[in-house]
Amino acid sequence: MSTDFSLPQRQSVVGIWVLFFYSLQRYGRAFWPIILIYAFRFNEVNKIYLVLSLVAVFTAIGIISYLKYLNFTFALDSENKEFIINEGIINKTKTAIQLNKIQQVNINQSFIQRLIGVYELNVDTAGSNKKEGAIKAISHKLALELKSRLLDNDLKSSYINSELISEDDSTAESVDVLQPFLKISFLSLLKVGITSNYGRSIALLLLFFSTIYENFLKFGDDDDVYKEKFGDYIDQNLVLQSILLFIFWLIFIVLIVNIFRTIYKYYNYVIVRQNGSLLLSFGLISTKSTILKPEKVQIVVSSRNFFQKKMEILELKIKQATSGEKEQSSSAIEIPGCSEAEGNEILNLLYQKIPTKGLMLKPNWRKLIFSIFLTIGLPLFAFIAIGSYIDSSIFDYAFLAPIYVICIGLIQYFKFVNNRLFINKDFIIKQSGAWDVKKEIIKPSKIQAVSTSQLFWHKKLNIGSVILHTAGGDIAFQLGDYIVLKQYINKWLYEIETSDSNWM
Amino acid sequence: MENFTNETIDTTQLPKFEEVIFTPLHSKYFTVVVINLVIIIAILMLVPTVFSFFRPELFSGRLWLIIGAILPVVFIWITTFSILGYKRKGFAFREHDVLYKSGVIATNTIVIPYNRVQHVALHEGLISRYLGLAKVEIFTAGGSSSDLEIPGIDKEQAEKIKQLLMGKIQKQL
Repeated sequence: MSTDFSLPQRQSVVGIWVLFFYSLQRYGRAFWPIILIYAFRFNEVNKIYLVLSLVAVFTAIGIISYLKYLNFTFALDSENKEFIINEGIINKTKTAIQLNKIQQVNINQSFIQRLIGVYELNVDTAGSNKKEGAIKAISHKLALELKSRLLDNDLKSSYINSELISEDDSTAESVDVLQPFLKISFLSLLKVGITSNYGRSIALLLLFFSTIYENFLKFGDDDDVYKEKFGDYIDQNLVLQSILLFIFWLIFIVLIVNIFRTIYKYYNYVIVRQNGSLLLSFGLISTKSTILKPEKVQIVVSSRNFFQKKMEILELKIKQATSGEKEQSSSAIEIPGCSEAEGNEILNLLYQKIPTKGLMLKPNWRKLIFSIFLTIGLPLFAFIAIGSYIDSSIFDYAFLAPIYVICIGLIQYFKFVNNRLFINKDFIIKQSGAWDVKKEIIKPSKIQAVSTSQLFWHKKLNIGSVILHTAGGDIAFQLGDYIVLKQYINKWLYEIETSDSNWM
Repeated sequence: MENFTNETIDTTQLPKFEEVIFTPLHSKYFTVVVINLVIIIAILMLVPTVFSFFRPELFSGRLWLIIGAILPVVFIWITTFSILGYKRKGFAFREHDVLYKSGVIATNTIVIPYNRVQHVALHEGLISRYLGLAKVEIFTAGGSSSDLEIPGIDKEQAEKIKQLLMGKIQKQL
């Protein structure tokens, strides 16, 4: 603990490699079409020029990285209580962050940084959700020291908070003084891997099947002898058996892939409570860490399917307020697997109470009819129309139609049965989904605007739709009891307009 | 403290957004609607005409028949929808929120409380500016789906509305 941060410090010398790889990555991303063209025309290109130009590019990036390293300094200005970062080769940038505005200091390690053995230090302030100060390559010891200095100063200058004194760290290496609020075990991740992402798995299966089938057809075309001679030998039973075996294997493979994906993404998932906000960190090869501020949370989506219910796990997805629409998808924080009790604890922390369901609204049966019309009626109509007027050969596949009708019909039925809106004094919960049953939970105070919609022939039937717009996305409920909905809309509007509760 | 009360609210007695009387759009805006309509119809008629002029071999008698049958239906369709759409649009500024109603087949109403408004903008189209009309655009943090556009408001009135909204936003801060 003797480094003098008041003098400008450079990053670790080995950090040049990190800068080099990052620059390489960036240029690679920017010029990939050109690289692709060269790769395809590899044989036509003069090899000597290629090697020379590659060497030139690498040296240029190397020099740029070195200059970047030379020009990057950080320092602590104890007089003005600022953390100063100087960077840039030609365009110089000086970032000064007031120490008492520092909300969070994160130490991360990406794959490249792990290879080289350095860490990344990010400074997050209250002002924006962009990372304002980032040091790309710093040794772990120095990082911890700097972090404690940054937060220590904050402590002295603003307020004393016992939670903050501990020198916690998001990376696994250091000893956590703070008790993790939630830790997702390896077993839970296995459970998640087995039970989630069925949609993606089915898509993968279909893709796999179609390629295999195509190859099979080609094979048959090429080899007529095969068809004639062996066609008779193929027993009906054998075909069925091999198909079943095949399906079994595919499901097995997809599950394995799923498990690996989940573990890769969420290994060592730890949530730590700090200063009223939640600090999450996870990842097998590159550790990611994010902060979650309860007041910024707009929508909490809790979802589980039948298997997950049996295994007693649920998935939480937390959508925060975003400044730009592009960020919307990436700013959702996922907590892949937690027990009901842990889920409730998180909800309790975010909302100060556990959401309960309250009044239940069901959609009208016309919603089911309409979705069946859209997903079954129209495709069937198109199928019959094409078959009878354009190409009657597609009727050979008519046996698929009942399977399709039954599958989609079941999905639509469960979607309809699960589609509910629960209204409570403090919460609005929308439940939806056929297999993965989602519950979107919002507080009425987070509503930005309300849209209602009613078809003119639904006026007498008293059914209508409502969309609640929030900064984290919309929540829509279709064909519900319009009088009740309107009554609640009036109540929510009243609540929003009479209080100046902060939605962000 | 003595003035503090916390009585139960009778939700049936709350002001009802569905009973608000909406102000129709400015009558001059109808001209804008008609001009837009004429432009669209002109384009729809011009495209096949120009095509047939340059590539007459593509246009058989049967195709002309189909075009001749479909186009008038489309024209009647969009004309009725534009005119009805104009008539069904309306806005209302309440004490605490702004409402906008639109839609021919479905009646859509959007309500934005003033304390959720992020910023307000005035927009003038080419034809609208000629007629002295403006469009008020109201933005919230809820993304593009919850933004509000009220077309066909007299320029001066739009300016006033903007001032009103800005005042309301300022008061919230």
